[in-house]
Amino acid sequence: MTELTCIVCPRSCKLQISADKETLIVTGNACKRGAVFAQNEMTDPRRTLCSTVATVFPEAPVLPVRVSDEIPKAKIFDVMREINRTVVKTRIGRGDVVIKNVLGLGADVIATSDLLKEKAGETS
Amino acid sequence: MNLSKCSKKLKKRFGDAVTLSLENQSVVLRGHLATWAQVIEACQSVAEKNSAIHVVNDITCDEQTETPMRVPGFTDNTVDGAAPDVLVIGGGISGASIARELTKWKLDVLLVEKEADLALQASGRNDGEVHPGIDLGKGSLKHRYIRRANRMFGDVCSELDVEFHRIGQYVLFQNNALKPLIGLYCLWRKYHDGIEDTKLISGSQLRAQEPHLQPGTKFAIWNPSAGVVCPYGLTIAYAENAVQNGAKVSLHTAVLDMDVKNGEICSVKTNRGTIFPKLVINAAGVFAEDVAAMAQDRFFSIHPRRGTNSITDKKTGAFLHSIATVKELSVHGKNHSKGGGTMRTAHGNLLVGPDAVETFEKENTATNRESIATVFKKQKITMPDLSEHDIITYFTGVRAPTFEEDYIIERGRRTTNLIHCAGIQSPGLTTAPAVAEDVAQMAVDFLKEKQTVEQNQAFNPIRKGVPVLRKMSDEQREEMIRKNPDYGVIICRCEEISKGEILDALHAPICVPTVDGIKKRVRPGMGRCQGGFCSPLVTKIIADFLDEPLSAVRKSSPASVITYGKTKQNEGGRDA
Amino acid sequence: MKNESYDVVVIGGGPAGLAAAISAHDSGAKVLLLEREARLGGILKQCIHDGFGLIRFGEKLSGPEYAERYIDEFHARQIAAVTLTFVTKIEKTGSGFTVHTVSRNGVARYRAAALVLATGCRERTAKQVFIHGTRPAGVFTAGTAQHFTNLLGELPTKRCVILGSGDIGLIMARRLTLEGAEVLGVYEAKPTPSGLTRNLHQCLYDYDIPLYLSHTVTRVFGTDRLESVEISEVDEHMTPIPGTEQRLDCDALILSVGLIPENELAESLGVKLDPKTKGPVCDGQNMTSVDGVFSCGNALHVNDLVDYVSENAAVAGAAAAAYKPQKRKPVEIHISDTLLYMVPQQLDLARNNNKTAVYFRARGDYNNSRLALTVDGKEVFSRRYAFLRPPEMEKLELDFDGMGLTETSDVQFKLEPQTEKG
Repeated sequence: MTELTCIVCPRSCKLQISADKETLIVTGNACKRGAVFAQNEMTDPRRTLCSTVATVFPEAPVLPVRVSDEIPKAKIFDVMREINRTVVKTRIGRGDVVIKNVLGLGADVIATSDLLKEKAGETS
Repeated sequence: MNLSKCSKKLKKRFGDAVTLSLENQSVVLRGHLATWAQVIEACQSVAEKNSAIHVVNDITCDEQTETPMRVPGFTDNTVDGAAPDVLVIGGGISGASIARELTKWKLDVLLVEKEADLALQASGRNDGEVHPGIDLGKGSLKHRYIRRANRMFGDVCSELDVEFHRIGQYVLFQNNALKPLIGLYCLWRKYHDGIEDTKLISGSQLRAQEPHLQPGTKFAIWNPSAGVVCPYGLTIAYAENAVQNGAKVSLHTAVLDMDVKNGEICSVKTNRGTIFPKLVINAAGVFAEDVAAMAQDRFFSIHPRRGTNSITDKKTGAFLHSIATVKELSVHGKNHSKGGGTMRTAHGNLLVGPDAVETFEKENTATNRESIATVFKKQKITMPDLSEHDIITYFTGVRAPTFEEDYIIERGRRTTNLIHCAGIQSPGLTTAPAVAEDVAQMAVDFLKEKQTVEQNQAFNPIRKGVPVLRKMSDEQREEMIRKNPDYGVIICRCEEISKGEILDALHAPICVPTVDGIKKRVRPGMGRCQGGFCSPLVTKIIADFLDEPLSAVRKSSPASVITYGKTKQNEGGRDA
Repeated sequence: MKNESYDVVVIGGGPAGLAAAISAHDSGAKVLLLEREARLGGILKQCIHDGFGLIRFGEKLSGPEYAERYIDEFHARQIAAVTLTFVTKIEKTGSGFTVHTVSRNGVARYRAAALVLATGCRERTAKQVFIHGTRPAGVFTAGTAQHFTNLLGELPTKRCVILGSGDIGLIMARRLTLEGAEVLGVYEAKPTPSGLTRNLHQCLYDYDIPLYLSHTVTRVFGTDRLESVEISEVDEHMTPIPGTEQRLDCDALILSVGLIPENELAESLGVKLDPKTKGPVCDGQNMTSVDGVFSCGNALHVNDLVDYVSENAAVAGAAAAAYKPQKRKPVEIHISDTLLYMVPQQLDLARNNNKTAVYFRARGDYNNSRLALTVDGKEVFSRRYAFLRPPEMEKLELDFDGMGLTETSDVQFKLEPQTEKG
């Protein structure tokens, strides 16, 4: 049996999960969303990932990025490695793809700011 | 000094653990004791006020651990081979003011300071009070200098462009029965000791001036000549003015050893090279005894004493316009510090403290809970509205008293080309302008025995500090910004400091391009957010000024790294 | 010297200021927004993690994305804004205000009939939580560490301890871990975490970062860069227990020990502050105790979600646009000790209060509690809450106009926690 805390709502139900042959049995959940959460966590836990990529622009040395869709939790550091070896050399903006289909996971790494498109003004 | 009486006193208290002998006009104590408190007790018990015979402490103790002086972690040859007329050791208020006074003559002056900046120890870690001298009686050097120096402050601070406010000091009494006695005390001070401005005022007179002070005050001593100055600001200003007039200042430069032959210092070894001075001035604060020992002229001892001050939010500055402390008369024990107080600083915050704690650690400036609790407990009597919750920062400094609790300002006793300016503690900041004049004169008199020393006709006493825009009218500010738009870019929101002011500080005669160096000079990070918002911005401005990566900028010392370099090392290189 | 007049001047270009300016503009006012930094967006510029906008946009956006959606809206309306402009003082002049600013262009004065203060909040510092010891480099607030990491691309630590389980601390624990730093643990003096549950899981447990409750940092060591910290267990009064000290070697201490609304400008105008929120006492239109001065966002009270900041700021903006001096008919809102705070703290019965948003936090972790509103002892509204925790703010929308309130009404919100399941 596995225990999980549900993070769907602030109630934070303590879930107990046991397997009966192929199906998972979830108890402790106050609502259906808890069961779905447990199912996902047990079979294919996914997370979003936010970071920055280096740029060649001195006024904005890094550009914030995130994955366009959740990626397997176990792949987070692999994707970080890809992000860390990327350098942005054009003034791309919010939503623009930085790494297409990163590691074949079906999600892109996208820019989350128009920072580079703003007038190259003073930062301080 | 009655040696046998002292010996008996020691024997009665410590048995055979401590012995005493008169050597070279000093009383030397030797032996071993369990605690540092006992060492202090032993030495204090034989110290004689206003005596030329000083206590030298050679007692070891169980508590005391041998911590070597912290020195810069690098060596180079920046000052190697320098042969100045005068080498000043120590960049505190004493050293800086002496260096500046020396530049009134045509002399080659070099000041060395082991820290990353001036005023990094006691001179930058005190309350900034300009004392009136009410607690000083005739006979001591402190008394000899206090009134003369106090009167000099207005002129000195206007020459050096340093914030100084003569805000006056109140000493509060809650017991009316003491009034005749205190009245006599004030008269004695006034007519015998020359503290001419002192007077008694009533509780209601006090309340009319300072409504937030202890409502139970029956009467108070009022010393209108007391003031506040920015202590590190004054030290830096003195040093900058010295540099403007030709002196050299070498930071990160620690004196490690001296070559002394036939009672004369031939050379001084530092981590940045060997110096060959004609005359050495020992203004080394807590290390004055160590410097004296290197010069083979150790005839006094320094016993470090810690003091912690707290600074409260500028909003509390409205509570008080002066310096105030409640006096609790105690029959037991001597109290060598002023007992702490509450004051409005030169920058408009309130400062609370300091306390006084004996320590064998010369450089331990770590703070602790107890110090602040002790000080607040007492000062809440002075001003009931005080609250620890208004504290924005606190700091500890280490004073450098001798056991006689007076200054040592004299030529070396065994070493000829040496002048000591030692044992400088409160009111050392106050007395500095006068002491510096005299020490400089002593130096000139010494050098004149060997060479001609001419006045420096080109000496310019005026030093301009960085303009303070937050104090200007809209019209003045407009004009400043028109000349330099960086004055309109506010970096520190709490203290309202512009990028222009920060860049000015970086272009000052002594450039200390560190976050703390800038903070001391123009105050970004001194406010209620303590640099939370502005420290990355200041770090970036310094990096751009130095044309170095951000990670090359330091908080203060060369090892005080702020960041460890870029998060993205870009290995593998993928373009996007 | 520039001298211009506006109906509404908004101070602060973060999420609150942007939403207030947009709403004031949409209500027909001539609006100016003043921002001290070079770019609009406020602190969201450095909050590159996601989780913003779930209520407002039904999406999990990162901070910059959320801010920039508002910035786009703001620019689409061509609302006047000046950036890199710092307010030095505000004076009450005639029926309005004069705002004095400095910027690269010099000094300017802006006349405003109404003001919206959207000045955000600041972090509590090491000294404010009485951290003692030496003063080395390497003691950062979480926001400062975030600025270095996310805006300047610099790593502020390789191995750190985080004090305080506030959300920014948790977010930074994950952020620094992703960038290759080692986070030894998050230490929290309180017996319960301060951050949102989802952040505890996704920022700490996902990365095997331990959380130590009832522990605090009692001392820091190191003369140049931080070398170690002393951790102590604390008792129920959060006082360190002697003998429980342990030393941890690390190069940084990162603090997430609370946020304080920034109200220095408000105070300079004589605005009355609520000791509970540390923000202004406001009515249902977000007007402070000074007529014509409105407050919103984290300057008013520290919110858990930016979506509430935007929503609340829009109310302030619209009210500022509609502001005309008139006599107030105030009634106080009183709250029980089981509530940490409630905003607004009063209602102005001379205005509309038929759709008033009420924000509150519970003082403790309560299961199955009941919030009741009584007017002169008579219960007029109640709601049950299955679960309340202090880190999670709650919002209600109420029609106070139907409750027959007068200036002398005794208006009480009472939260009744129930221990047993009901």
